[in-house]
Amino acid sequence: MKTTPHGHACGSLEHDISRRQVLGTLGGAAGFGSLLQPGIAEEITKQKKQVCLIWLDGGISQYESWHPLPKSKFAGPFRSIKTSIPGVHFSELVPHTARIAHKISVIRTMATKDPNHSTGVPRIQRGDPVDRGVEYPHLGSAVAKLLGPANPELPPYIWIKPGNGGFIAREAGFLGAQYGTLALGDGKPPIHIHRPGSISAEVDAARNALRRKANERFSAYRNASEIDAYETSYDMAQQLMARKDIFDDSELDEKDRERYGSHPLGRHILQARRLLEAGVRFVKVNSYHWDTHGDNFNMSQRLIPQVDRPFAALVNDLEDRGMLDHTLLIVMSEFGRTPVINSRLGRDHWPDCWSVVLAGCGIKRGAIIGETTADGAFVNGEGYDIGHLFHTIYTLLGINPRKTHYRYKGQKLDIAHGDCEPIREVML
Amino acid sequence: MSAAPLDVKKAWESRSIKHERQLFRAQFSPDGRFIAAGGQDKLVHIWELEGEKKKVLDGHNTWLSSLVFHPKGGKLFSADYLGVIHCWDYENSTRPLWTIAEADRDNVRALILTPDGEHLISAGDDGVVKAWKAASGKPVTTMEGHGECIFSLAISPDGKHLVSGDLLGAIRQWSLQPWKPLRQLDASPLHTREENFIADVGGVRSLAFSPDGTLLAAGGMKEAKSNSFCPGKPTVLVFDLESGKVKTELKITGKSDGPFNALRFLEDGTLAGHTEMLHTASELTFWKTSQPEPLHSISNGSAYDLSLHPDGRQLLAATYVSGGNSGNGARKRFHEKYLPNTTNLRIFSLFAKPEEKQPG
Repeated sequence: MKTTPHGHACGSLEHDISRRQVLGTLGGAAGFGSLLQPGIAEEITKQKKQVCLIWLDGGISQYESWHPLPKSKFAGPFRSIKTSIPGVHFSELVPHTARIAHKISVIRTMATKDPNHSTGVPRIQRGDPVDRGVEYPHLGSAVAKLLGPANPELPPYIWIKPGNGGFIAREAGFLGAQYGTLALGDGKPPIHIHRPGSISAEVDAARNALRRKANERFSAYRNASEIDAYETSYDMAQQLMARKDIFDDSELDEKDRERYGSHPLGRHILQARRLLEAGVRFVKVNSYHWDTHGDNFNMSQRLIPQVDRPFAALVNDLEDRGMLDHTLLIVMSEFGRTPVINSRLGRDHWPDCWSVVLAGCGIKRGAIIGETTADGAFVNGEGYDIGHLFHTIYTLLGINPRKTHYRYKGQKLDIAHGDCEPIREVML
Repeated sequence: MSAAPLDVKKAWESRSIKHERQLFRAQFSPDGRFIAAGGQDKLVHIWELEGEKKKVLDGHNTWLSSLVFHPKGGKLFSADYLGVIHCWDYENSTRPLWTIAEADRDNVRALILTPDGEHLISAGDDGVVKAWKAASGKPVTTMEGHGECIFSLAISPDGKHLVSGDLLGAIRQWSLQPWKPLRQLDASPLHTREENFIADVGGVRSLAFSPDGTLLAAGGMKEAKSNSFCPGKPTVLVFDLESGKVKTELKITGKSDGPFNALRFLEDGTLAGHTEMLHTASELTFWKTSQPEPLHSISNGSAYDLSLHPDGRQLLAATYVSGGNSGNGARKRFHEKYLPNTTNLRIFSLFAKPEEKQPG
């Protein structure tokens, strides 16, 4: 693993400032980080960086996607196909991504620590920081805190997921509920997004003012985070009420529907594109049931195309719109899958050597990073832990992880693991 | 040995052959002299049972998905996940006699020979049943109608009917004289697609006609709980072919969570089937098809194929053997010893074990 000696490049207290200082500097910029050094904050607000994290929950198999190794004793049965990068091959299950491989990077030597879902998912999505006895935010909440909204009229962090939606405060960890995420169940806007016709805008505004006043009184004696969550969820709903167009499927091009696919992940990645176009800072798209312990090869044949085609479409569409240079795309899981094939012809959890796909926002084009053993089971040399990836992400977003810290209850906290550093090989 | 009366309750392992990689298909030759097997290592392995000579046929570029001997012997047909079928003169040559390069869009999941040996029939991912001249590999006909990939094929004992089973639980019955569709049987309980799944799970993984041709057994699993672990209830649906309805639903009493990959009827109408279990032992199960509960079962590793010796008294199971490296990582401590899982080709004799002679 690539590490640097523990210690921060900048540990001085001048980077730790009070809420009042930030508000004064930023003129009360909505939702902005309360604990960021003013100069840094100004710098990063200038940047319109956006992120889309496509999270394949359970673990996509690296052998059946980005690192096929057909001559390995651990290879699956699928073809290895040429990509648009000379000499680089992907699995036949990702033909669309293979055609745009020159626009993306693949890190094939992720080497993380946790082989379990229950601990692995939060550990990976929080960047596995040093345990300081706090619950760190997931990446989307962290970015919402560190960069604020890209479009102040929209929530900074939206999560598109199957199943139910709603405001999910727990993603924010110690940052507080106001940095939680608005989850769109099945990509649909929250119910009641439409103001009933019987209520005029004036009456609605008066009602909201009354609600806020009641909240202020209620919060005087109660946990502020709960009230923040309540208030934030209302504010977000109000923001979305003004942007119903983002969810109006009648505005969708039929060709787009076809290119992204009618399955949930395809529809959700297309919705993510619309949210990014509208200016949402961070969009997470979840797909569940990638934990193919059983029947891995039949399932991979059906699952992996569900991310391949819409991801490739997203890369192309963002490039066509001039957005790819400032939008970071990440496709990943909490780990990869075992080289060894089990009794149910499945692959189990494998954090020792797995792949992540990145594109846009300062990511090299056509870079395949990392050397593995010939069979693909292990990293040759040192791999990259999730902390390295978080350093990379923050750096690409214009946030210096060495100079930017959280402060919580008197503790100065790194935003990414202090022993890690950016993965320079994948950065322009 | 072959004269011994069938008694599956007294079945015993009479022989085993170990192989260093996972094998998915294993078949006795029609003369009982050979076993052919194939799987992950892309090779067709031929073991001569007398003398234990071994031959390897190298011609596939990916995992083997199906193997079948010509009923008159002399030829072996192998298929793979890339749609290739090879025909081998396995006793005399290590080169294919002929090859079909694109027998399927992707995986040829099932091969079968008509009893007269005239036609080879294949089916797989593209959902089309295809007939080929067994002598030359030339196409004869195609039969369409399945909406999904086909997992399994079986031919009636009289050679007049073919059945094919697919992912969605549809079994289609076809006439072979002439080639035409006849009807569809409903094995949809063997398919599961819940609202929160992102893929179809299960399918008709195995088919077998009873010796008198009146029953059809369809193997798979019911009620899959997810499309990730794909755990379900191993199930065999026994169809009465006169009515086309399910007559009996066969169950297991032991622990298994995967589909029945293989079914074989014995000459007395007893049905043998084998399923899978994640990380622990599965079982070889025997039923009288009129009763849902098993007649007998034998603990065994997960197995993907069964073959009945021409003597009718030996059953071959391509059985998974853990190399100790399965399960979730991290496995860095096994860096130097991290090896694939292996196979034991287990031959079960289906009669009482002869008493060993006492010395002297």
